Amino acid sequence: MDEWKHNPIIKPHKKRSWYLAWKYKLMNQRALRKLCQTGAVLFLLVTVIVNIKLILDTRRAAYEEEEESAQDYDDEMLNVEAPRHPVSNKKVLDVEVYSSRSKVYVAVDGTTVLEDEAREQGRGIHVIVLNQATGHVMAKRVFDTYSPHEDEAMVLFLNMVARGRILIFTIKDEGSFHLKDTAKNVLKSLGSQVAPFLSWRDMWTFVGKKGGEVYGEKHAKSPALSTWGDPVLLKTEVHLTSVEDAECHWPDTELNRRRRRFCSKVEGYGSVCSCKDPTPIEFNPDPLKDNKVFDVPVAVIAGNRPNYLYRMLRSLLSAQGVNPQMITVFIDGYYEEPMDVVELFGLSGIQHTPISIKNARVSQHYKASLTATFNLFPDAKFAVVLEEDLDISVDFFSFLSQSIYLLEEDESLYCISAWNDQGYEHTAEDPSLLYRVETMPGLGWVLRKSLYKDELEPKWPTPEKLWDWDMWMRMPEQRKGRECIIPDISRSYHFGIVGLNMNGYFHEAYFKKHKFNTVPNVQLKNVESLRKDAYEAEIHRLLGEAEVLDHSKNPCEDSFVPDTEGKVYVMFIKMEQEADFTTWTQLAKCLHIWDLDVRGNPKGLWRLFRKKNHFLVVGVPASPYSSKKPPSVMPVYMEPPAKEEGAVAVPAVAAAEQT
Amino acid sequence: MQKVNKNVVLAVLSLTSLVFLLFQLYYYKFYLSQKNGTVFSKARGSQSGQDSTRWHVVRKFLGLISSHNIPVYLIDPLILGLIDKDIEQIRSSSDGPSPECKYFCAPRDFTTFALLDKAWKHEVGLFRTAEKMGFQWLKVLNKDPRLDGMDDLSGTEIPLHYIFKLASHAIHLVVFYERSGNFLWHGPLRLKQHMDRKFVPFRKLHFGRYPGAYEKPELLLVSIDDLKVQIPKNPSSFLEEMSHSRFLECRYREARAFFQVYPDDASVDAVEFRKRAKSLLHLAALTLNNLGVKFWLSSGTCLGWYRQCNVIPYSKDVDLGIFIRDYKADIIPAFQKAGLPLKHKFGKVEDSLELSFQGDDDVKLDIFFFYEEDDFIWNGGTQAKSGKKFKYLFPKFTLCWTEFVELKVHVPCETLQYVEANYGPDWKVPVKTWDWKNSPSNVQYNGVWPVDEWDEVIQIY
Repeated sequence: MDEWKHNPIIKPHKKRSWYLAWKYKLMNQRALRKLCQTGAVLFLLVTVIVNIKLILDTRRAAYEEEEESAQDYDDEMLNVEAPRHPVSNKKVLDVEVYSSRSKVYVAVDGTTVLEDEAREQGRGIHVIVLNQATGHVMAKRVFDTYSPHEDEAMVLFLNMVARGRILIFTIKDEGSFHLKDTAKNVLKSLGSQVAPFLSWRDMWTFVGKKGGEVYGEKHAKSPALSTWGDPVLLKTEVHLTSVEDAECHWPDTELNRRRRRFCSKVEGYGSVCSCKDPTPIEFNPDPLKDNKVFDVPVAVIAGNRPNYLYRMLRSLLSAQGVNPQMITVFIDGYYEEPMDVVELFGLSGIQHTPISIKNARVSQHYKASLTATFNLFPDAKFAVVLEEDLDISVDFFSFLSQSIYLLEEDESLYCISAWNDQGYEHTAEDPSLLYRVETMPGLGWVLRKSLYKDELEPKWPTPEKLWDWDMWMRMPEQRKGRECIIPDISRSYHFGIVGLNMNGYFHEAYFKKHKFNTVPNVQLKNVESLRKDAYEAEIHRLLGEAEVLDHSKNPCEDSFVPDTEGKVYVMFIKMEQEADFTTWTQLAKCLHIWDLDVRGNPKGLWRLFRKKNHFLVVGVPASPYSSKKPPSVMPVYMEPPAKEEGAVAVPAVAAAEQT
Repeated sequence: MQKVNKNVVLAVLSLTSLVFLLFQLYYYKFYLSQKNGTVFSKARGSQSGQDSTRWHVVRKFLGLISSHNIPVYLIDPLILGLIDKDIEQIRSSSDGPSPECKYFCAPRDFTTFALLDKAWKHEVGLFRTAEKMGFQWLKVLNKDPRLDGMDDLSGTEIPLHYIFKLASHAIHLVVFYERSGNFLWHGPLRLKQHMDRKFVPFRKLHFGRYPGAYEKPELLLVSIDDLKVQIPKNPSSFLEEMSHSRFLECRYREARAFFQVYPDDASVDAVEFRKRAKSLLHLAALTLNNLGVKFWLSSGTCLGWYRQCNVIPYSKDVDLGIFIRDYKADIIPAFQKAGLPLKHKFGKVEDSLELSFQGDDDVKLDIFFFYEEDDFIWNGGTQAKSGKKFKYLFPKFTLCWTEFVELKVHVPCETLQYVEANYGPDWKVPVKTWDWKNSPSNVQYNGVWPVDEWDEVIQIY
């Protein structure tokens, strides 16, 4: 080791070039050797040092990095992601189906996917659609084929289901009374042996693939009219196919990705999932020129009626001037299917944990939705409020765009609504005409933020009060004499049949004949004259030029109004004080318009159309317009029907909520 | 022969060692530059490659977002700091090519941009294009705070941050949301369990440690380093705002729990009082903001925010705090001009100042001035009839933004300590009878005003 030691005397040599060192190597071999040795040693030493430094640095950096990511930026809350069910590679599903008088259930692989043992409910044929690749439930329906027309709905539904899906049928109580041959034939075509012979109070279960094999069928005949067939339990196995086989081969676009997601989860939406020719899910309606409501948020209030929501959103997104980014769908409850529909259209949806029950639940849902809307769009001065069971007119936004400035400027306005309670096929004519009304019609309306934030939100009915939100909003404490603007021809159409306060009969009687505007780009003609004072003047002008009808005739008769067009007629009815609607109610009944409570009457004056003539009804003497009555005319008085009937009608009024 | 062999061996050894050393150095440099480019490029002169990488990444990113029509603006504090020095020149200069890369080549790990949420649709297309351009990206989602205050609403999660990484540089895109109170909010950056913690050195991000609140900035389109980019019109005030931008969300969950135990008062009186208190607070905030006086929610109003996210309906007044160093003589006339006459004035600027203004309908606005000492902060109280002085002590605090009754206002960041100092450990229990002289747990008797000063320090109108 001694000779490797650094020799200070040789140090200057280091400065010499290698060339020189080599040149003098013969003369100075010893010195050269030493020099080389020292050089090599130095190199080695430096290398080792650099190596060590590298290792240290790398380790430090790695350590820092670890520490770095560990702190601060970790999500504090443990992100509990629902453990995904391991994708089972199982190719076979065990299916159990039970049918009896009082209970039905369906279990797939031990999981109950349908169970209904409620009394007086769920009668008819229950249908479940499973995805043939995953076994997931895609649709659940019950068709009360004991009642008329339900079998038609079932046929419609079954025709919409894609080929290859697995269908499960089971009957609860009775399902054959109104099961017509068409429906039976459809069931037969699915492979059912029994369906054509299903009869009164038979029990029946069936599992099969649409357009394919039958997995099982069981049937128990009812021995006598007064008794039910024995309960049947069908246990069978279903073979799953591959995912590829279960999906359509649409081009890979953003839209189709949404469509694929949707179609692999749910069934019963018709051509949107058609492989060959799927119906579009993006509509791109014409934009509106000078759209004043482009930045107004739209809140869609929804429950668990996904098919309605689907229909509603289609019409909403097809309306001219719609801005999908401003739409939020509020779903009352953690229902998956409505959310799937929302996602299909690429909209944003918010779910709301149900609070309270029945009407109060709807009311709380409304409150949460409205508050959230104004939170999400803090700049908005207004919000459009829609419900899931409305069709939206093509010029809905055009209508609002032309009239919304009034809501901003006229303090005496409460809302703008797209719905005319009295706008039936035979009583509405003019798409460009607007009215002021004292009631709050709802069903597609615009709410002013200041009204909500300053007045309504702080005192909104609390959950324990079982009030309807719209009834509450119509109360004088809230409305404070303010009025709403409505169109003569409604810009929304209420198609819901199943609702909290809805049933088929009710809908048939009060909503089916409602007029709905289908003309695009209607130019509204009297917007400016809807301001409080201008409207008053307008009414006086109308009454001034109106022809007084012959009050000796029966106002219910068609001949009461002459066969003319474009004229203005007036009639006077008895109305002792402001709340006396005896005659009006009778008149409304015979005219087949809304008669469950009084709607559409600013100051005892009703405006509608009869036979294409403007038709005014003035309540005398309560209405301030009574002075227009010629002294010779006797106001019409119509007797209410006998007392019992009247008593029955009262609760109906309370239930007339427009859900 | 022997000696020659030895020489050869030595030469070979030296050569290998040299090669090895060079390799080591190269690797070391490569590793460091990838890790944090700044360190090495600073140390060595050979930075141009690194610098132009940054510029190229920014350029690519700007290309990406403009191809999707997404309006972003630059909020990177480092670059804005540089820009701010030359702001006059940049504003006036035309689009001519710049001689050197001055801003976007500056050494740093990230370039930060802001995006207004409502200005874009959440398109998936952007990320596909980004991937095609070679970007790796990361998205940080979280709950929507605008729905947090609501009973049981669950929206879809919203994107709060995006990070686009290309080569050794990354773009941090902060998503700003508009909130009630007319301000912009960005969320905290929190990684979820499955996320890649080493995607970028998250610690070095300038945004995301806390949520932040900002005014809506005015933007300016400038051309710097041959790139067109939007920046806040006044970078220095933006940077100033950024340093005090921390935002506290109201404790909605705790507030709900509070209302479970003590149901809210929904009587007409309570509703009316809340409405009045809210409009008084809005008016006070407007007046003080116009004067540029920083204030925060104090006493009962602060407790209301902290405990129940609302005005306490029986509190009868609105309380604000202001540091005495922010006191301006204009405060009194400004409030009078706003329609709030002075009701009383206790103390003087040097000691225990307290102002009280009369709002509409019997709601009072109390403004307490806070005096900072070395290890505590205090404000004073005066009893009008006796001239007694009181002192309320608080531990030191800083100010954070929050949203309260549709207003962006300050509250002490250390709210719990503040509220506890004022109301004691039982602040969670509502107390309807409150005596400001005895009830607070931080009150100290502070002597009596000299009688000859009474005219000045006790003014009642």
